[in-house]
Order: sequence, then structure tokens, then C-alpha cells
Amino acid sequence: MRKLVVVGTILSAAALVVLLPVLRSGSAQQPPALADSLAAPRLSVADSGSLRGPRQPIFFRHDIHAGQYKMQCQYCHYSVGASSEPGIPTLQTCMGCHTVIGGTDSTHRAEIKKLRQFWSDSADASKPKLEWVRIHSLARFAHFPHMRHVKAMGPNACQTCHGDVARMAQVFKVNNVNNMGFCISCHLTRKVNRDCTACHY
Amino acid sequence: MTVRPVITRDQGSEDRDQGASPELSPLTADLSRRRFLTVLGVAGAGSAALSGCSTAKVEKLIPYLVQSEDQVPGIPTWYASTCTECSAGCGVHVKTREARAIKLEGNPEHPVNAGTLCQRGQAALQGLYNPGRIKGPLQKQRGAFQSLLWDEAIGRLAQQFQNARGKVAVISGAGPGSFDDLLAAWTQAQGGRLIRYQPFDRAPERAANLRVFGLDELPLYDFATARYIVSFGADFLETWGPVIEQQRGFAQSHGFNGKSMARHVYAGPRMDLTAMNADEWHPLLPGSEASLALGMAGVILGERTTAPQDANALAASLAAYTPEKVAQDTGLTPDAIRKLAREFVSAAPSLAVAGGIGAQHRGAVDLCAAVAILNYVAGNVGQTVRFGAGLPKPDGYAAMQQLIAAMNAGEVTAVLVHDANPLYALPRSARFAEAFAKLPFKASTSLFLDETAAACDLLLPAHHALERWDDLRPRAGVLGLMQPVMTPVFDTLAPGDVLLRAAQKTPDLKAQFPAPSFEAHLKQKWAELARSRGAADTEQFWRDALQHGGIFNGAVATPPAVRLVPTVPTVLTAPSFDGDGELILLPVPSSMYFDGRGANRPWLLENPDPVTKITWGSWAELNPETARRLDVREGEIIRVTSPHGSIDVPVYVYPGVRPDVVAIPLGLGHTEFGEYAKGLGVNPLDLLGAGSVEGFLPYVATRVSIATTLGFHKLAKTEGNPRQLGRHIAEAMPLAHAEQGYTVEESLKQVGEEEHAVNTAREAEAIAGFRASQVEKTKLGAYAEELPKWGMVIDLAKCTGCSACVTACYAENNIPWVGYDNVTRGREMSWMRIERYFEGGVEPGEPFAARVVPMLCQHCDNAPCEPVCPVYAAYHTADGLNGQVYNRCVGTRYCSNNCPYKVRYFNWFPFAKRAFQAPLDLQLNPDVTVRARGVMEKCTFCVQRIRGAQHQARLEDRPLADGDVRTACQQACPSGAIVFGNVKDPESRVVRAAEDHREYHVLGELNVRPSVTYLAKVQA
Amino acid sequence: MTALAHEPHRPTQTHAEVTRDILGTLKTPSRGYYLALFGAVAMFLVGLFTFTMLLKEGLGLAGYTPPVMWSVYITTFVFWIGIGHAGTLISAILFLFRSPWRTAVYRSTEAMTVFAVMTAALFPIIHIGRQWIFYWLLPYPNARFLWPNFKSPLLWDVFAITTYFTVSTTFLIVGLIPDVAAIRDKVSGWRHTIYKLAALGWTGANSQWRHYTRGYLYLAALATPLVLSVHSVVSWDFAMSIIPGWHGTIFAPYFVAGAIYSGIGMVLTLLIPLRKVLHLEHMITDYHFDNLGKLTLLTGSILFYAYAMEYFVAWYSGNIFEQTTFWRRAFGPMWWAGWSMIICNAFVSQLLWFRKIRTNLTSLFIISLFINLGMWFERFVIIASSLSNDYDPYAWSNPAITWADWGILIGSFGWFLMYFLLFARTFPVVAIQEIKEMIPYPRKHTGGH
Repeated sequence: MRKLVVVGTILSAAALVVLLPVLRSGSAQQPPALADSLAAPRLSVADSGSLRGPRQPIFFRHDIHAGQYKMQCQYCHYSVGASSEPGIPTLQTCMGCHTVIGGTDSTHRAEIKKLRQFWSDSADASKPKLEWVRIHSLARFAHFPHMRHVKAMGPNACQTCHGDVARMAQVFKVNNVNNMGFCISCHLTRKVNRDCTACHY
Repeated sequence: MTVRPVITRDQGSEDRDQGASPELSPLTADLSRRRFLTVLGVAGAGSAALSGCSTAKVEKLIPYLVQSEDQVPGIPTWYASTCTECSAGCGVHVKTREARAIKLEGNPEHPVNAGTLCQRGQAALQGLYNPGRIKGPLQKQRGAFQSLLWDEAIGRLAQQFQNARGKVAVISGAGPGSFDDLLAAWTQAQGGRLIRYQPFDRAPERAANLRVFGLDELPLYDFATARYIVSFGADFLETWGPVIEQQRGFAQSHGFNGKSMARHVYAGPRMDLTAMNADEWHPLLPGSEASLALGMAGVILGERTTAPQDANALAASLAAYTPEKVAQDTGLTPDAIRKLAREFVSAAPSLAVAGGIGAQHRGAVDLCAAVAILNYVAGNVGQTVRFGAGLPKPDGYAAMQQLIAAMNAGEVTAVLVHDANPLYALPRSARFAEAFAKLPFKASTSLFLDETAAACDLLLPAHHALERWDDLRPRAGVLGLMQPVMTPVFDTLAPGDVLLRAAQKTPDLKAQFPAPSFEAHLKQKWAELARSRGAADTEQFWRDALQHGGIFNGAVATPPAVRLVPTVPTVLTAPSFDGDGELILLPVPSSMYFDGRGANRPWLLENPDPVTKITWGSWAELNPETARRLDVREGEIIRVTSPHGSIDVPVYVYPGVRPDVVAIPLGLGHTEFGEYAKGLGVNPLDLLGAGSVEGFLPYVATRVSIATTLGFHKLAKTEGNPRQLGRHIAEAMPLAHAEQGYTVEESLKQVGEEEHAVNTAREAEAIAGFRASQVEKTKLGAYAEELPKWGMVIDLAKCTGCSACVTACYAENNIPWVGYDNVTRGREMSWMRIERYFEGGVEPGEPFAARVVPMLCQHCDNAPCEPVCPVYAAYHTADGLNGQVYNRCVGTRYCSNNCPYKVRYFNWFPFAKRAFQAPLDLQLNPDVTVRARGVMEKCTFCVQRIRGAQHQARLEDRPLADGDVRTACQQACPSGAIVFGNVKDPESRVVRAAEDHREYHVLGELNVRPSVTYLAKVQA
Repeated sequence: MTALAHEPHRPTQTHAEVTRDILGTLKTPSRGYYLALFGAVAMFLVGLFTFTMLLKEGLGLAGYTPPVMWSVYITTFVFWIGIGHAGTLISAILFLFRSPWRTAVYRSTEAMTVFAVMTAALFPIIHIGRQWIFYWLLPYPNARFLWPNFKSPLLWDVFAITTYFTVSTTFLIVGLIPDVAAIRDKVSGWRHTIYKLAALGWTGANSQWRHYTRGYLYLAALATPLVLSVHSVVSWDFAMSIIPGWHGTIFAPYFVAGAIYSGIGMVLTLLIPLRKVLHLEHMITDYHFDNLGKLTLLTGSILFYAYAMEYFVAWYSGNIFEQTTFWRRAFGPMWWAGWSMIICNAFVSQLLWFRKIRTNLTSLFIISLFINLGMWFERFVIIASSLSNDYDPYAWSNPAITWADWGILIGSFGWFLMYFLLFARTFPVVAIQEIKEMIPYPRKHTGGH
């Protein structure tokens, strides 16, 4: 009977898909906390709950790293240009800076402290591991070669799908990457391959 | 695409390699790694892979702690290693993704397998990830196994062996190499005896060579240069010798090269895969082959051809074997024998081979000696028969018999079993189990809970070959290296480390074995080797070796001058048989299960036997005549009884076996060995006597009687009808025609096949018009772009039907196995299948033959499956593939109905869920969707490899080059029968291969325009 | 029409009696009726259970043995679609032909059509691998920019069935209006309200009759071509493929004839008991059965010819694939199915040359059962047997039938009978006003409305 439920959900999902453009325009607006400048606002972890997007074990500020300090995405997501997988920064990468940088104010220091804790605990299997909450998860039957898209659209291509992460205090989903229409419309406008087996195999 | 880094183990994995350390037990490390993989979205889990909404559940991303420079997510890392599935010692490249091995491929630099890999090698992965593996050290308490810490376990081993000093024995199946040396030294230091045991031993050949040439060794046989091959029951394409190398050579000489080809004659009681590939098959009574060999030698010598001078000494004794006398023994006509002999000697260099389990009767040494003489007389020794190969010499059956005696006599009280399963591989009548049970202490390093391990007191599960450091010397001049390609799946330990740490716990051995770990020990050995080779930088030497998978240019001992020993005995005594049953029992070595070690790998269990096409179980082959006499049909269970035991087994009626023989495959009938093997099939060894002849176990030495039972067991055959019914699916032409350059049609006309115009002129016109309109359509949209068009050529003159490609396809494409029940309903999912068709053998006296044809999706240009799909799940891609979009498929199955080749496979149940139960799911290829139930699937021409190569080419701003894309089947094929590439590129290999007069399309008259071109088989 | 050859049967009762008798069928039913209904529902539940299991476990529960990828489910689907056709033939075509004998039977056959199509329509969903996304077969706008493949016969099928269902349902409902009104006038209480709604304010006024008869005529004209088109499309599910035994040019007419043949078989199977249970002996008489029998004979003979032709063409084409298929159809592992089809359809129908047999209800009923069986087997043979031995001998197999196949088959009959029985209780199975039209003049003024 589970399947029957699934049928129901899929049906309603189909309905949603048709409405999606509307929803998307609604979802695209930024959290009120952020002004139009790249100067990241002061936010404590307490605020992170009120911000859009899932709450992360460490209140990592993309708006500070990518926005304020204008770090290249590829610095942390190191394999995006070469591989289908963008790559998650290793703790070592974080510590590369944060052994030195301790944070400017208390809220930042608190988060960086967490990071260092995870790093020092890493040898101990019994201690908890750092587990980021995944935001974009492509269905397993679709293959998305990140490197091809970065190659074609340049290093700043990221935001076409992931939104203006440089302005996000906490990263949230801007586009449903599992909505095939989202992929197709882009491929249509750019007049690029729309063969099914380009992604589905 | 393939990065082959010089391996440097980073800190993190260094820790994990010493599995014992309680701080970081590999099990937990493995768990976290596995979670890490899943969150990368690469380990497709069952049907979850297809449920449209995968974003629903909260997924976690666990970052690497430290980035290892040889692991980039999404990009495969390749390690060179060595296969240990048999003693051939092939080199492999291990494809790893996110730190787990997902595919094995041959190492192109390796002299033995030259880049190809057989089905057993491919299936090594299912050994690595086998759910039946022992998860950690165990000891038996009150009949049940309890887990304990490695330290305790090793302590116990050391203690027991110390107590049993001088009464210690070690049974090892490990090939020659640093570990074997260490084991020998270790055992010696324990005052014990080391028995190197290989069930499929070639002792008779060594004995024969000793008798004839005074050399107690095995030669290497060069099939590649032989122009005429006669096999006296040696299954050189299945289990006898370095099979891949021999098959490659055979394909080279016996495959039609445009001008000529070698002739292959097989003399043996059963048509096995090797005989199926022969141009001439003589079903001789077991034991009479030797007479034929001597007869041929006699003729050659009598006619004073190229025989060496010292061979004349034989003339007198060989004179006894006149063709007439031989004719009596063998049932061949004297002229046939003369003809054989003359052809054999005139086609220099020729090659005669004997041996193999299927011909290991009590006269096996005589047979091998006779064949050695034949080779010598024909002047092949030194040409195609090369001594000085330094092939391993296991101790053989005699040593085991002595051990059994010693165990019974109490001279041995503690035994360590490594990489061997004597409890299964020895005939029950040898009473090994009883003697073994008596021992106070028995330990095993087996990976799996096999029969022997189950009988042990202490289990020290070893790392799989892909998890540990090791090396192998399969032959002179070849040193293969093994390295850990991933963290161990379970809490296991390298056997070398077990020995060393045990030594550390034994006071008087401490000094002798100082190495901290086997890795260190190995590196030190290699450092010595480097110095002996005069390498300046030993570290560099080591890294090079590691990168190439070993060193293959080693100094080969100069071949010894081979001379006949002065008085070669040529008297033949007809081999005797135990019992007085009406049929001779012929235990058949299986190319899937080998000596039984393959029986716990679903890939091998579901890969049909190349001859009978039976999966998941044993069978007894009876000649139709015999079956008629006994009034039994296929599937009826018969009771086979010998003086030593009896087994019940279903019948398979097979014209390819002598009427006075019953053949039963070896390797099944396990009583332990994990869920897949346990209780599956029967073990014909239960029918054998234990008596040895000249130190080997005669497998073909029993007469059995057959009794019918009322039982019936449907054989899980993947075949519907064994005959072609004149449908020209597997085409063949005589060599004469091939030399003339005839096309298949011309050849058929020559042999009197009436010419049938497939289409009338009007029809042809209509088809042409239709074709034109299609071509017009290909000028639309994406189809107009300058894209490659993928195609394949399969040369049936080279294909032997060995089925390596089938397992390779399973491994590459996440194909689920379906098990006995579903195979009996024809629901197996093998995208690539080897169709085997019988020819002749219907009326008595009519020659019986078989043909094989690999059948896979033909990717038709005019595919019948495409228009009938209501949802475009089956459609034609712009680059000429017949695309199948799993996630679009709703499962109407019309495409399969409309496919004339029947190469589309449907997921009737959630097959993947069962087939990839943990930890087998770690093997899944992240680049291929795991199909959910209710969808159709089929061969994609390895589209993931095509896309991968295209991505790479694009990143490097270069066009795709010929050979960038190799399909899994092409890569595995030991015969090199498969060529794949872009048919739009006139220079590509595939186009050149297709420009052959033997070219034809299966069912071409249907005008479906397949992209797979076959080259007709040629019969010399 | 042969039916017009001799004096058509005339009702012997007055209008009042007609109304009484027919409405009598709606009185509180007998025990037998309830037993039948209970049986039907039970069968339906069996089917429902099986379908649930299919959803839970997978299609593998059914006896599919690749390459036989279609088996009992598609067989039953074609079987039910076929059943429908007789209904439309009798109610629409014979109406246009003004054939008097249809009057008494057309209502029940028309109902049968609707329910048969309802049953058939379930199968395209039941038989696919991922039933929960069956709607992908329908063309609807979606964000993926994907459409179904209009080249696929399966899609034509979807359209054919939906069209057929819509038209025949409308036809049935419209035909019911005056009768429903008649009932409305006779019953009281909540029944009255319901029938009042269903009657759509029918008063029987002259103008209403004028428009009504026109409209009904047009609907009949609309339904008529469907009798030919729908089953032709269904036949193309097979004829459009390249399977030997499917790929035949005669398939469309062959299937249409078969459909009507099987339909009338079902009509007889239903009508003969119904007539007894509802005491309609003096309305549905030998005269009607005689004509039904003749129609059966005609279509049965067409089938006979088609079978013969299939074998002839297979032999004459010299195509080894065709030849093997048809040889194995008769002498292969599925000979039993092959011969039941030929005997039940080609031979048994020939018995109807004899008037005695045509008018003897017992023999007619038995024959009708043979027809149903035979026509089911015909589809099973065409589908399963042809698939089991096509081009590649290595892939051949023998079809099997498992409990899951039986479950759905039984369930489909339950589903069908359930609706039919409920209908027979709620609406007149004989058209009141049309019977009245046939009453000879002299007795017209007495009674009626």
C-alpha cells in the first residue's frame, strides 16, 4: 500500500512542478538580515535558526568567506573543476587558516572553537564527527558533471544553480536541482545538448 | 581518465593498515567511510536510486579529515596489483572510487594477461566484499565461535605452536613469493612441516617430464606460434595452466588472420569448452589417449621427418604402436592417425598438450610422457614447449597423504591452514576431516568460513589480496606486487603480520623475525632485490615496481638443453578404475568455480557454464544414448554410486560426452563456505577413492553405477533451444572459403545452402526509400551535429565462449544476479550473454560441434524497440546509441517483446536490493544507475565510459581519440575478439576490423541495421 | 439482416403490463441474486489482494518467463475489450439498421459494454512495471518538457479505450432517461429523489421525444465506427510489432470479428440466466436467441477463415520464423492452448448451423461458455505462444501461469459481474419505452402513460 501513497505524492508533486516557476520566484528572495552590500552582518549562532536553510553543526558563514573575503569557491570545493563531484573541504583545509585565525568577535570565536574541537577529536573514533547537513542532493539516476559546467560557464558558474551563496549567512536551497525542467530550460536557452543519456545512464 | 599515481600511504590509512589497534578499528573507520560515500551520492542503494524524490530525507556530508593526494571524489584512482584467484598470477589494475575498489581490469604491462582478465579474476571483488567473510578473529568455545581481540588470538596461536614445537604443520595455498618464503622460515623455526597445497596440481606432467627429459618441472606452452595444436584432454581454455595467456595465444594462432590459421584437434572423452573450439574432436576412452600420442610419434619417427637424432633411440619401442594397434585402442582409423601425425609434424611448429584434471586417470603420467615424446619427436621442444619457466611446484597430493598419516599418528598436533580448503578439496575417502578433527589445535587464516575453517579452533581472518601488501613470483622473470587499495572491509589482518606478531610473542623467535610489520618486511626484501639488480635508488625502484604492478623484465634462467633420458619407458598400462559400474566417472573442472573457491561468488554462480549453460547447481552429463538406455530425461535426479560413496544429481543430456562416461562438474557441493555456496550442488570428489598414483590424485579413476530416483530438479539453464534452426545466428565457414575471401553468403552457397533473396526488388526499393527518409530525419536538431557513431565488431573466429566478458559486464554495470528461481524462469539479467549453439550430433555417427556467439544489445539504427515505447524511455541517441532511460521507463515491456535479439532485461523484483546486500554494495559503480524494480535495462555500450571519456576530452580541449573508450567486455576479452569505436572515423580500429569478407549481421534480413558486426567463425 | 427475413416478434402484453413486468425486475431481489452478488464481490477482493501483492513485491509474482513479457494480463485485457464490442454492435449498429430483435436485449448488452471496458481499462495499469506512474502514459504538460511517444501503439490504445468508454457510457445513460423517468413515477421515498435526478427532468413531452430520438440516433451513429476502430487499434498493439504471429495484415478485421464473436458469447452467457432470474421469458424469446446465434455463426465463421489464413500465409510466405511460430502453435509445448482456441472458436461455432441448437437455450449456453473460453485462449495463444518462440532460439522459453495471474483474472470477472448485477437491480435491463413502441396498435390505448 506504501506505493499508493507514493502515487499520491507523485501526483501532487506533478501538480507542484507545473506551479514551480511561481514558487521559485517566491523562494529566491534573500533573508531580511542581509543588506545589498557584501559586508556580512554580525549574526550569532542563535540567529542561524531564524535564517533560511538548515542549521549546520558549525555556523559556517559563506557570506564572510565567499562574500567579504572574496575567496574563490574552488579554494574549498577543490575538485569542482576536474570532477563530477565538487568536493567538500577537508578539516585540514579549514584548519589551514583557522589554526591562526581565531575570529574577530565572540560569536565567530565560538564557531571556530567548535571547528578546532572537531579537528582535535578527529583521531578518536568514539568522538562525534563533523557532519554537514546536505542541501543539494541530486537524484542518483541523474549524473551532473560539475567540471563540464565550470569549464563551459567559468569559475563563477556556481551561483546559476546554487544562488548567490556569497550573500548567504546560512546556505539554503535556491533551486530544486531535482527539477528536470530547471536543467532543461537552461540547456534550451544555451542551445546545448539535451540528449537524455547526457545525464541519465 | 585513468590516473596511476605513485602510491604514498598517508598517515590516516597507515594507522588503519595495522588493523588490530583498538583506537581505530577498521570496522568503524569503514562504517564512517561508507556513510561518507553514501552522502557523496555515489553508492546507489537499491531502488532508492530510482525513487523520484531523493531530497526528502536529510543527508549528511562527512568531510575527509585529511585530503589524500591520490583520492579525488568523483575521479577513479587506479592501483596496480596482482590477482590471486589462481596460480597464474595475472596483473590487475584496481579501479577505486572514493577509496573503495569497484572494478578489476587487466594490467596491460603484465606478460601473463596483457591487459585482460578472466571471469574468476573479475569476481575477486565479490570475494573482497563477500557477506560470508569472517568479520574478525574468532575462537571456538564449546562448539561455537566467539570473537576475541587480535592480540589474544595471535597470542593463542603463538602459545599453541610453541607448545607443539616439532609437531607443527602448515598447509598453504599461497604461491611463491615473499610471504611464502616467510611462511617457510617461520614454519621451519617452529620445527614444523610446510605443505604447499594446490588441489588442481599438475604433478603428472612434472613426473612425465622427469621420466622423459629428466626435468622435474613444467614447461610453458606457446600457443601463439603453434600452427597445429593437439590437446589430449588438457582444458587449456578453462582451468589448465595460465588460461588467459594460453587463450590469448590460441586466439592469435587459431583466429583467422586473413590468410591462414592453426588447426586444433582435441582428443578426450568429453567436449568441454576447449574441445568446442577444436576443429576436430575425437571422443577417446579415458586412458587410450597415450596410445594415440605414441602412435603419432611412431608414424613421425617412422617417416624420418624432422625428428632430432637422439629420438631414433625410441624408434624400436615406438614401432610397437603401429597405427593399426593404436586404431584398436582408440577406435580411430589407421589412416586418420597417420593423417593426424603427418599434419602435426608438417605444420611446424606444432604443439601437443596433455594433463588437466579431466585427463588425470591412473595412466596420466604415461599420457603426459607420451605427449612429451610426441612433442620431442616433432621438434617442438624448445620451440613451442619451453622449459626453464620456473613455474611453481606445489607439494601435491602425496604430501597431504603423509600429513594425514602424521596427524593420525600424532606426529602433528597443531596445524595452521592458509589459503587452502583441504577439507573440501580432498576426497572424503582420504579421511582428512577425521584426522583433522583429532588435532588439539587447528587454526586458519581463511577469509571465509569454509569447510576447513569451520573445523578449526582459531580463526585469524586474513586481509583480501586487495587489502594487503604482498608479492608473487608466478614464474621466472615475473614479480607481481600487491598493495592495499582500500581500508579493510572487516577487522582482518595480513597473514604476514599474523606470523610476525606471533613470532614476537614467541621468545626464541623474536630475534629471527624482527620486522615490525609485513609491509616493512616486504619493503626490505625489495630493497635487497633492488640492490641485487644494481638499482641506485631502492626507494625509486620500489615505487616504479609499485606503479607498474611489479617487475616483468626479470632475468629468466636460460632454457636448459632438453635431451631425452637414454631409456625412455614407452610401455603403456591401461589405467584401471575402481568399482564395476557401467559408466566411468569424469569429474569436470569448472572454469567458473575452479577448485571450489569460486562457489561463493554469485557472479560466477550465475555466469552460465560455457558448455552446458547451466547456472546455480550441479548436473550429470549423459550421452543421449545412455540417457535413452537408462530412460532418464533432463532434470531427472539420478543416484551416482561408486565404491566410495554416492551422490544424487540431476541429469543433463549432452551429445558431447561419450556414452560410457558420466561427467559431473567439480567445485560445488560445499557444506560450509557462506550462504551462496552452502548446500548448492554436489561434490563428485565424494565418489573418488583416496589412493594416489606417483604422488598425484587420479580424478578419473572410478566406475559408477546409475540408479534412477523419482526426484526432479529443474536445471537453471539460460538457454531456450540449443539449435539454430537454420536462422544463421552463429555463422561459420571452412578455412578453404575464408582463404578464398568468400563472404558468408558465397560460402553458404558453396556448401549447397539454397540462396534465398531476402527482399524482392520492390521491397528493397521501399526499404531504401525508408532508409533515405531516416537519413533525412538525422539532419534534424541534435542529430545533425557532428557526433561519433558507436559500433562494435566481434570476431567469432577468436571468441572461445569463455564468458569473461559476461562477468566484466556484471561488474561494470551494476547488474544484479537473480538466483536459481528466477533463472529457471529465464529472468537472468546478463546484458552480455554467450549463446552456444550445437551443430550435428543428432544421428549417431554425425560429427558433433558447437558454435558460440556473444549476444548483446545491437544498438540498431532502425531499432524495433524504440517506436513502441510509449514514454520515450527507449530512444535513439544522437551518437547512434540505443538509449535506455531507466528513470523514464514505466515498464510496459513492449520494447523487449519487439526486440528480435531478446537482449532487454526486466527488473521483475527489486533484484538489486538482494544482489547488493552489504557489503557487496560497496562494489557498485557510482557512474551507473542502480535499476529499481519495474524498469527495463540492457547493454548501453558502457555509455558511462563514453560520457566519461567525452568529459575528459572536453576538459583537455581535444577531440575524442580512437581507443579512448573501451567497453568492459572488450577490455576483459582474453582473445581480443571485441573491437569498439566510432564507425564514422574511417581510421578507427572498429572500421578497419569491419572491413572483412567474413562480416555479417545477426538477423540482418530484418533490416534493423545493427551496430554490432560479427565476423564469421572459420573452421580449419 | 437475416433477422428481418421473417415476421419479427411482437410483445403480447399491454403497456401497463410491460412497465409492471420490467419494473418487477427492480423489486427486492431473491436469495440467488444476493448469493451471486456476494460471489462477485468475493472474486473482486481476490483480485484486489493480488494487485496489492503486485505493488508490494513486483510483477515477478506473475508467471512471466522472458521473452514472454506479456502474458495473462494483456490476454485478459484484450478479452474484456473484445467483450464490449457486441454490446455496441447490438445497441448502436442494429439500431441504425432498425433491426427489431435488438430491442429486448440491447440494454443489458449496452451495460455489459460499459462494464467490460471499465474492466479492460484497469489492465494497462495493472500490467506495467511501475504502476504508480501509469499517468506518464497520458499527454499532460510538465516541467520536464516531455511528451509521450505518439508513435507507440500502446498510446493509441490509451486513447482508444478512453474514447470508447466515454461514448458507450454516454450512450447507455442517454438510453436510460425515459425508463428512469418511468421508474421515478412508480417509486417513492429516497429512491424517488435519486431517480428524479437521474431522469434529468424527463416528462415525455412531445418536444422532448423529438429531440431525444434525434440525439439518440446521432449517438448511435457516433458509437458505430468505434466498434471497428477500437479493436482495430487494440489489434495494432500486436500487428505493429515485428514478432512472428503478431505481425499480420489481417489483424484488424480478424480481431474485430473475434471481438464481436466473444462479445455475443458473453451476451448469451449473461442473458440466458438473467432471463430466467428476472422472469423475462416472454420478452426475450427464442426469436432473439435465434438471431444472436446466427450472428455468432457469422463471426465464428469469419474467425475460422482468419485462422486458416494465418496458417496459409505462414506456409506461403516461406518465412522460417513465421513457419516455426505457427508449427509450434499447433504442435509445440503450447499445443493445448492452440487447439482449445481452434476447437472452441472455429469448430464449436459451426454447430450453430442447426436451428435446433440455436434455439435450445441449454446448448446455446454451453456453446457460449466454450466461446468465452476459446476467445480467452485465442488471445493467450497469440500473445504468449508467439512471444515464447520468436527470432532467437537461444532465448526461447515456455510461458507459465502462477497464482498472481489467476488472482487478477478472477478479480476482473468479479469486478465486472459486481457492476453488472448492481445495474440489473437498479435500472431496467430491458428498454421499457422501446418495447412499448413495438406493441401492435389495437392494444395501444389501454394503459400506458
